[in-house]
Amino acid sequence: MTVLAPARPAALVVPARRRNPLRTTAAVVVSVIVVAAFWSADIGWSRLGDLPAEIVRYLGLMFAAPNWSKLPEALWQTWRSVEMAWIGTVLGILIATPLSLVAARGFGPAPVRVVLRFVFSLVRAVPELVFAIIILSVTGLTPLTGALALAVGGVGTLGKWGYEAVENVSPGPIEAARAAGGSTAQVLRWGVWPQTAPTFLSFWLYRFEINVRASAVLGLIGVGGIGDMLTSYTQYREWSTVGMLLIVVVVITVAIDAVSGRIRRRIMEGPRVR
Amino acid sequence: MPWTAAAVIVAVTIVMCLPGIGVGLDIAAIARNWQQGAVRIVELLAPDWSFFPRTVGPLLETLQMAVIGTAVGAAISLPLSFWAARPTNPVGWTRAVLRGILNIVRAVPELVYAAVLVAMVGVGALPGIIALVLFNVGIVVKLVSETIDASDAGPLEAGRAAGGTQTRINRAIALPDTWPAFISQTLYVFELNVRASTVLGLVGAGGIGLLIDAVRTFYRYDQLSLIIVEILVIVVLIDTASDAIRRRLV
Repeated sequence: MTVLAPARPAALVVPARRRNPLRTTAAVVVSVIVVAAFWSADIGWSRLGDLPAEIVRYLGLMFAAPNWSKLPEALWQTWRSVEMAWIGTVLGILIATPLSLVAARGFGPAPVRVVLRFVFSLVRAVPELVFAIIILSVTGLTPLTGALALAVGGVGTLGKWGYEAVENVSPGPIEAARAAGGSTAQVLRWGVWPQTAPTFLSFWLYRFEINVRASAVLGLIGVGGIGDMLTSYTQYREWSTVGMLLIVVVVITVAIDAVSGRIRRRIMEGPRVR
Repeated sequence: MPWTAAAVIVAVTIVMCLPGIGVGLDIAAIARNWQQGAVRIVELLAPDWSFFPRTVGPLLETLQMAVIGTAVGAAISLPLSFWAARPTNPVGWTRAVLRGILNIVRAVPELVYAAVLVAMVGVGALPGIIALVLFNVGIVVKLVSETIDASDAGPLEAGRAAGGTQTRINRAIALPDTWPAFISQTLYVFELNVRASTVLGLVGAGGIGLLIDAVRTFYRYDQLSLIIVEILVIVVLIDTASDAIRRRLV
């Protein structure tokens, strides 16, 4: 009788991991940059130790008993913020839409296209707050300054999204419109617009959502709105009012995002089939 | 229907331009001030290059804040992304709790965090970094967990069929699949961070924004112009580099 030796499992051959020199280099470079940043930054890390306790304390100060007596003023300032966002969006759309058509391949002359795209990317690189600082020398510390800054910022993003959308349309309807003898305007109206309208509408709504967030921030330089009120009360260290204002900001942003997001989905996906 | 929508939009816009409840559209004031604006624009077109040495330090601090904010944010986001995605965390209510918190975190702009944090921990780069971290975690976890949600369920089921615990499945199967999305989103928020960190200083949170605030108080638009040029160069350089890396990855 032969004793069956337990069959040894075939040795598990784990193939050596393929080395990717590029990836290794990238990992090393990134680690060096991160370590250098931590090492060179002049940061009071010691303050980090008691930060968790501090945050809990401040959260208590802010949200244990929010100061609701200032709510009417907060709502009024929110209205001004939303106004900034709305006017900024409308102006942005009015300026950006024609520009984005000119910047699209097949509609504008090449040099104009290159210049416009460059301008869009420059505008996108500058924070809206900086535009607001420049514009306020003309319009002063009014919500209009904020609206204009958001409009300028909107031209950068809406312009880019716009020409990308126009370039992605299927060429069939455009060719048909051209073949039927349509002028450029008619080609845009009947060849491009029906295809791109939902995309454009959803971009506009999305930009409005961005502007609502940004308008809260623009108040920080004093152009009014909820951000203005928030900075003031933070400076007065009236934490219960700050807490109430933060609640208002969160509720309004979430509500506007939800409504606008729902409309966007409806535009892009059509009505739900029952 | 489209015409009703258009009419509503026009009506709302008109109401918002009215005096009193509107944005303060005052054409007479603009007509009075526009020359002042023209002077400013001329100043903007002639940057004060001699100001450059003083901007180097704050610019470096801005980049440091962006790098540290991204690194810390990424380190926190990776495990949280697995927590927030259905295939890697089957316990529904814990997902809902985390997502709810993150929705609130995302609703507050990073500058507002910075303003409040400056009052809490004092002026400097630290409040700016914490603000960036909060902002990053909100975005990265949402985007990466959505990628995990949309990923192919096959390999995960294979892992489960082979008797793996959830932790092992996440570690051995979900993690390798998540890396490209995670790195790509981290690079994306790094771009956002560079942009955001330039203005955090306006509320006292360190970086070039402190300088923006100083020159604007003295109406030195020629110096502001130099700072804008520098921001442009840095943002465009970093965006280009990060775009190139992302295209290689995905």
